[in-house]
Amino acid sequence: MQGLSTYFKEIWRRRYFWLSLVKVDLRSRYRGSAFGIGWSLLHPIAMTTILCVVFSTMMKTEITDFAPYLMAGLTFWQFVTCSSLLGCECFFAGEGYIRQHPAPMAIYPLRTVLGAAFHFTLGFLLVIVLTLICHGAGFLGVAPLLSLIPTFALLLIFAWSLAILFGLANVRFRDLKHISDVGFQGLFYLTPIMYPEDWLENRRYITVLFHLNPFMPFLHLLRAPVCYNAVAAPETFLAATLITVATASAATAAMYWQERKIIFHL
Amino acid sequence: MARIVLEEIGLTFRVRQRTKLTLKEFLVGQMFRRSLNPILKVHALSGVNLTVERGDRLGVIGHNGAGKSTLLKTLAGVYQPTHGKMVVDGRVSSLFDLALGFEIDATGWENIAYRSYLQGETPRTVRGKRQAIADFSELGAFLNTPVRYYSAGMLVRLAFAIATSIDPEVLLIDEVLSVGDLAFQAKARARMGEMVDRAHLMVMVTHDLESVPKVCNRAVWLDHGHMMMEGPTEAVIAAYKSLAAPVKVAA
Repeated sequence: MQGLSTYFKEIWRRRYFWLSLVKVDLRSRYRGSAFGIGWSLLHPIAMTTILCVVFSTMMKTEITDFAPYLMAGLTFWQFVTCSSLLGCECFFAGEGYIRQHPAPMAIYPLRTVLGAAFHFTLGFLLVIVLTLICHGAGFLGVAPLLSLIPTFALLLIFAWSLAILFGLANVRFRDLKHISDVGFQGLFYLTPIMYPEDWLENRRYITVLFHLNPFMPFLHLLRAPVCYNAVAAPETFLAATLITVATASAATAAMYWQERKIIFHL
Repeated sequence: MARIVLEEIGLTFRVRQRTKLTLKEFLVGQMFRRSLNPILKVHALSGVNLTVERGDRLGVIGHNGAGKSTLLKTLAGVYQPTHGKMVVDGRVSSLFDLALGFEIDATGWENIAYRSYLQGETPRTVRGKRQAIADFSELGAFLNTPVRYYSAGMLVRLAFAIATSIDPEVLLIDEVLSVGDLAFQAKARARMGEMVDRAHLMVMVTHDLESVPKVCNRAVWLDHGHMMMEGPTEAVIAAYKSLAAPVKVAA
């Protein structure tokens, strides 16, 4: 336990380093682009618009209900896939530093996740704006909005843990990134991002998969405020916390085991 | 209190003969048949016993692949020994792989900050010395441009200026004396001399046997990861030369 607190202190001591790298990543991503950071806002808007036009006619739902639901799902999915798939590369991206200085390895996945979290936060602010446009300025209460703070904190730890696990695994098995790419595409269709949740009820195995899906509690936590102006049920918070604790424990154990071996596989 | 103690230190690299292990090979290949890509064990260091006390200037000599740089990286904490016990007390500064670890899209000024932050510095402490680093690197207006436009020599000059800007207790140096052009080399040598004087202890890896007695009071001779000899500089160099000197072949 003392080792863990020393480890986090070391991470904190180097906060200026990883925060600077996050800034560099964000800047170089839009380098030479006329629209700059606007692209990260335009992408979810464009996707939501296209999918809304296609699906709202098929599903006969109100576009004002469906648009925030869809955009919240897409923004969340983008965050999870970016953290995991870009996380696969995190130790290779930091190789130059790893070969020079024995800093805590967890700062490299943190760099990836904070970059993704920046886009997620921007995207979710857009979701809130969209909700206000669709349902009127008085729709969102203070309590539902405040409930997003613990949700974001849980999500950040969950995504950091995912990036650590994917990063460590990919250092050993370089195929993992490609396999995960396909896997996440499959999961995208198995998770109610683009369609209502009730589509998956009473469909035998699919329903079982739906209930086992670890992303669902997070989706509920994000959608309850913006779609229904409600704070998610305590059981949902508990489920998301348990999933986060389990993933973080796995990431901590894997990091403890691999921390000083990574360099031999780069 | 700066001090290094190594007890029976060993480091074994486990490398694959060909490329990296693929998931398919891991899941299928090794279960049903003998791997076509077996793990090779390379004993980079074995049974190294060494104590370096405050005031010591230790030179590490040996042929290519003897484990000199591996020893230095182990002392720096970059590699963790697979055997033995290691204690390194004191604030460590290492001068190796200087050209690594630059953000190529960031400017020279920004890279000065990033590298300093990696060593645990804060914006306040960096502000205090960034001008001195810039002056020493002699890169002038180039510091405002992204380092992707720097030549290899310019990059190493900047890295050297940053790495030598801190006051270390334990200084680890790997063949960095050939930095930049002739004029800069002289300046780098002078800076190194100052650092060596200020550091509480120093370990230097080099092939330049002439410079070792001038800088170091002790030396270690490594061969295939084993410590062949340790002691006063002249004696170790003489022993190394007598065994490692190329044999003259009669015409």
